[in-house]
Amino acid sequence: MNTMQSALIKKDLRGITANKQLLVAMISVPIVLTVVVPSIFIMLIHFMPNDFSDFDAMLRMLPIDIQLDNMNTAIISLLLNNIMPVFFIIIPIMAASIMAASSFVGEKEKRTLETLLYCPLSLKQIFRAKILSSFIMSELVSILSFTIMTLVTQIEIFLTTGSLLLPNISWLVVLLLLSPAVSLIAITLIVRGSARAQTMEESQQRSALLVLPVIFLVAGQFMGIILINIWILLGLGALLALIAWILMNGSFQKISYESMLR
Amino acid sequence: MKAIVAERLTKIYSGEKKALDNASFELSQGEVFGFLGPNGAGKTTAVKLLNGMISPSEGSCHVFGIDPSSSPEKVHAISGVVTEHAQMYGNLTGQENLVFYGTLFGIPKEESLKRALALLERLDLTVAKDKKLTTYSTGMRQRLSLARAMIHTPKILFLDEPTSGLDPESAQSVNNMIKELASDKGTTVFLCTHQLRYAQEVCSSYGLIDDGTLLAVGSLDALRCRIFSGLKVHIKSNRFPEGISFRKTEGQWAEINVQTEDEIPPIVKRIVDAGGNVYEVMANRLSLEEIYFSLIEKRKEQKEVR
Ligand SMILES: Nc1ncnc2c1ncn2[C@@H]1O[C@H](COP(=O)(O)OP(=O)(O)OP(=O)(O)O)[C@@H](O)[C@H]1O
Ligand SMILES: [Mg+2]
Repeated sequence: MNTMQSALIKKDLRGITANKQLLVAMISVPIVLTVVVPSIFIMLIHFMPNDFSDFDAMLRMLPIDIQLDNMNTAIISLLLNNIMPVFFIIIPIMAASIMAASSFVGEKEKRTLETLLYCPLSLKQIFRAKILSSFIMSELVSILSFTIMTLVTQIEIFLTTGSLLLPNISWLVVLLLLSPAVSLIAITLIVRGSARAQTMEESQQRSALLVLPVIFLVAGQFMGIILINIWILLGLGALLALIAWILMNGSFQKISYESMLR
Repeated sequence: MKAIVAERLTKIYSGEKKALDNASFELSQGEVFGFLGPNGAGKTTAVKLLNGMISPSEGSCHVFGIDPSSSPEKVHAISGVVTEHAQMYGNLTGQENLVFYGTLFGIPKEESLKRALALLERLDLTVAKDKKLTTYSTGMRQRLSLARAMIHTPKILFLDEPTSGLDPESAQSVNNMIKELASDKGTTVFLCTHQLRYAQEVCSSYGLIDDGTLLAVGSLDALRCRIFSGLKVHIKSNRFPEGISFRKTEGQWAEINVQTEDEIPPIVKRIVDAGGNVYEVMANRLSLEEIYFSLIEKRKEQKEVR
């Protein structure tokens, strides 16, 4: 990264934080998903009468190796370590999509892209800088969400059960492999679509399709059909990272000024 | 080294129509080149080709020896471009915009700020420097675009209709600035415009283009030679003697073509000797506008013949 590219990245990041509407969208969804949802869940478990016949059946299917002495703790652990990680696939997709749409299609829409193309950076360097700024943004949002979620849920868990229930090792895979990989895929798809998409809304709608498989994953989790263990996660992460890499290289091959300005 | 060399430059966007057809021309350093032609003639196409935004279908071009289609970023480093499609960020102020583009060209922030302030001053935008670009008028945006194109002190400026939205005073000051840049700093300017009177004041050479075909290239004198190189003399008098081929225009005015200035006094003397009163005498060479129209007219006739 040279100084010109970092100037571009800084401008993109500042551009998104200066836009109230986008910033609110970028922050409110993660907060609802990672703070409000688990809080409601934890409270429900705490205040509901102990009648968990449905959960009981589901819990027995889970490969939870730790002996859980308490049903409440088991359910919270299921929530924290098996359901919440899925949100950390949705969040980076969302953050990356908003950022990439505004930094690629937004520039085209506002006719600032052409000006940018007249700078002494090659098209590939401009692309790299823009992809990186979207990536930085989505990682920032993910890590921030994770930190806030952990803080809030740990406090709630401590208050309701009297002990902590720390996130397990699968989080590491999710945060370091899975969520970066899917955010790169989302960015690349937006960038590729940006040659065709004329407005920001259009390209954001396209990337919304990405969320569909994730929704199946969530549904699967809830029904106990797909039980994600660390090896499946690792495999999935590696696969997604490979797809991201292939997609990104492919889009580098095709770009030209002409296709950008169309 | 030549600033621009274009050899049989051709661009076909899609299908048959040639937006630029076999155009060859050269520009020396420090020249202000007026690229003139009606709408859709291919002016913007030429600017895009010279900056590598599009690749030529045939032929080639070089800007200070660099081929823009193979290394556009090298051309961009030494060129400043103003086109109507190249806008700046509405959510930033005029000054912030300039500083950003400065850093984008690799100029350190403090230096960018210094240059930005000087350019804002020069383009009469100092009062608006801290206002968001969304509040700028068309002319203010255009002047800021000019400042943006000059922030890295380019060796060559491509200006695609830089004065079309400016009031006469601003247009005049922009034109003066262009002249100064060329004479003081040796900046080469490639200027696309429809404003022929301004072009005549600013440019040192011209290219006339119509429908993708370059009709004529050269200095004003060179272009004149293709139509009529002499003087057109307008005389106002109450009497015109026989024997001289005056063309009566309106009222007491008549006109006559001569090759040199020396032919004018004898003509006036003949009128006076014949008892006429001479009220006014004006001698003009063909203006750029007249040359433009007669070249475009000629081209139309040629097309109709074919
Ligand atoms: N992207 C494009 N795709 C297809 N045709 C194009 C494209 N851009 C320009 N043209 C065509 O090429 C021709 C030359 O266009 P160009 O924009 O170079 O004209 P111009 O001289 O700049 O005109 P103006 O004075 O109106 O700005 C026109 O006939 C135009 O329709
Ligand atoms: Mg044009």
